[in-house]
Amino acid sequence: MADIIGPARIENIEPPKPDYDVQLESLNQWQIAWRRFKRHRMAIIGSTMFLTMVAIGLVGPFVFQYDPNNIPVPDVKVNAGRPPSLAHLFGETGRLQLDVLTLVINGIRMSLLIGVIASALGAIIGTIVGGIAGYFGGWTDTILMRIVDALLSLPLLFVILAFSQFVGQGTGSWLTITIIFGLFGWLGIARLVRAVILSLREADYVDAARAAGVGDARIIFRHLVPNSLSPIIVATTLGVAGVIIGEAFVSFLGFGVDPSTPTLGNILSGSLEFINQGNWWWAFFPGAAIVIIVLGINFMGDGLRDALDPRARI
Amino acid sequence: MTEAVAARERRAGVGDVLLDVRDLRTYFHVMDGTVKAVDGVSFSIRRGGRLALVGESGSGKSVTALSIMRLIETPPGEFAGGEILFDGVDILKLDSHAIRKIRGGEIAMIFQEPMTSLNPVMTVGDQITEAVLLHQKVNHKGAEEITLTALKDVGVADPKRRMKQYPHELSGGMRQRIMIAMALSCNPQLIIADEPTTALDVTIQRQILELIKSIQERTGAALLLITHDLGVVAETVDDVAVMYAGRVVETGTVENVLLNPRMPYTRGLLESIPSQAKRGQRLSAIRGTVPNPFRMPPGCKFEPRCPYAWDTCSESEPDLIQIGEDRTARCWLNDQRFRSRLNDYVASRPGGGE
Repeated sequence: MADIIGPARIENIEPPKPDYDVQLESLNQWQIAWRRFKRHRMAIIGSTMFLTMVAIGLVGPFVFQYDPNNIPVPDVKVNAGRPPSLAHLFGETGRLQLDVLTLVINGIRMSLLIGVIASALGAIIGTIVGGIAGYFGGWTDTILMRIVDALLSLPLLFVILAFSQFVGQGTGSWLTITIIFGLFGWLGIARLVRAVILSLREADYVDAARAAGVGDARIIFRHLVPNSLSPIIVATTLGVAGVIIGEAFVSFLGFGVDPSTPTLGNILSGSLEFINQGNWWWAFFPGAAIVIIVLGINFMGDGLRDALDPRARI
Repeated sequence: MTEAVAARERRAGVGDVLLDVRDLRTYFHVMDGTVKAVDGVSFSIRRGGRLALVGESGSGKSVTALSIMRLIETPPGEFAGGEILFDGVDILKLDSHAIRKIRGGEIAMIFQEPMTSLNPVMTVGDQITEAVLLHQKVNHKGAEEITLTALKDVGVADPKRRMKQYPHELSGGMRQRIMIAMALSCNPQLIIADEPTTALDVTIQRQILELIKSIQERTGAALLLITHDLGVVAETVDDVAVMYAGRVVETGTVENVLLNPRMPYTRGLLESIPSQAKRGQRLSAIRGTVPNPFRMPPGCKFEPRCPYAWDTCSESEPDLIQIGEDRTARCWLNDQRFRSRLNDYVASRPGGGE
């Protein structure tokens, strides 16, 4: 018995697998962050709100094909707007009697476009300036950060007012306003990136990269910036909300985007004089759109902050 | 084959001097004054040679290594004097572009902390490939081939998969292999290993040392090993330079220095190694601590801690005194005038004199 079982058993024993054969798929930073983000209830609510608005901005113009620039012959007798009806779900504006729904959809699109482009522009400039200041330190840092301090002390509203006086006639095209917001929106990110890189540059892998002959620019933008992406992403996301509010603010005051371009701020601005005639729908819907977008972005940003925090686990 | 023979011949003393550090002075200007971290360090390595810089924490051995790579930030650092001749060129006089060619290309460095010396958001393959692309005229595909070969050479199993992994997916020993692969990928003439095994556990230490040694022998590169572990020194290198308080205090072949130290500090270091022979006895230690960098003793820097010191030692500091061929010690005992003291010193050697 033993003779028969013995060798057979030995053959049946599988040789232990070498440890390098174990196919353990470990998650990278982004997979871990995504997993945390999915569990963050407010983040999911926020991104649903935000993405819905993005979808409306992108798809809406094709579904509701009122041309915002195709001005109908207004009903002279009425002049004031008309409340929501089946034909015009969000009502009609006063004076030109434009479809508010069409305006809001196009406003969402323009406002998001301005917010995203300006915020991305700010993030790029801020990362470059902050990265250089943080990495080189010393005089470079002092000079760049004092410039940031000086610019931060300027009231943005007056700067934009002055800029749009130069560029347009009191108001600018949406791209001009976007670029102005981008050019002044990098200050916070520059400070943030500088602080992160100031601590990261002492890391051993920076010395190791330098010892391998890697140049300064490459170390900043290929080694250090990717390591500081988390706070940059959070700040940029929250920045989109800031720009949308800011654009609405200056456009509302009449110093922003040219009134013929429907941004949420412009629509609100137009509604102002009809509010006391009871035309609530003209102000309500674009206002609600701003609230939903900004709230969504802020929830999403908070969720991103938690998800990308390297100190938090699980 | 011929490469290995050539490497051996070079080590046997045939090769000319590759790295010649002469009277190097690296100071740091800090709030409280000036720290002379390296103050008159001289040593040289021949092509294919192996030298260890030994000393305790704060003796200036790492700063010496970083100075050779010009990785000292200035300010607060300052190269206050001396020269570092690499292949006849003074590294301290090179502009930043030329020094970048040398870093990684001619001189490669392996760092102490494999856990933090790799960028956590880049795959290890990308990190090695980056170094290859910087120093060799190859396209991206060629660089990846070289990376793959380098990983195979350092004994990484399944290198294709490893290349796509991030540092956090690898063990400490594996990461140090990656660092070594990165160092050897550009065929450097000199490899500086700054305490390459300190952060690893003992079983892995041995593997890594063997690996560094075998790669050094195969490629014929010179090795500058920085360590505080005399056991590592005995196994790995041919020559030793002992450092104390920013100075080289003794140089020579491993056999000479470890068996017959001519500087009491070296003897103190050797006596403080726990070994079989001294079982049951109290382990001897060097009394006192490294002098405060702001209040260095005026004479020999080791004098306050030296059991053999006499008044000459506290009055003036000795130079590196030539004892034999390729053998020096910075100790008055080796001066002709104090012959009798040297005899007493040698006779007092634990385990009997010669």
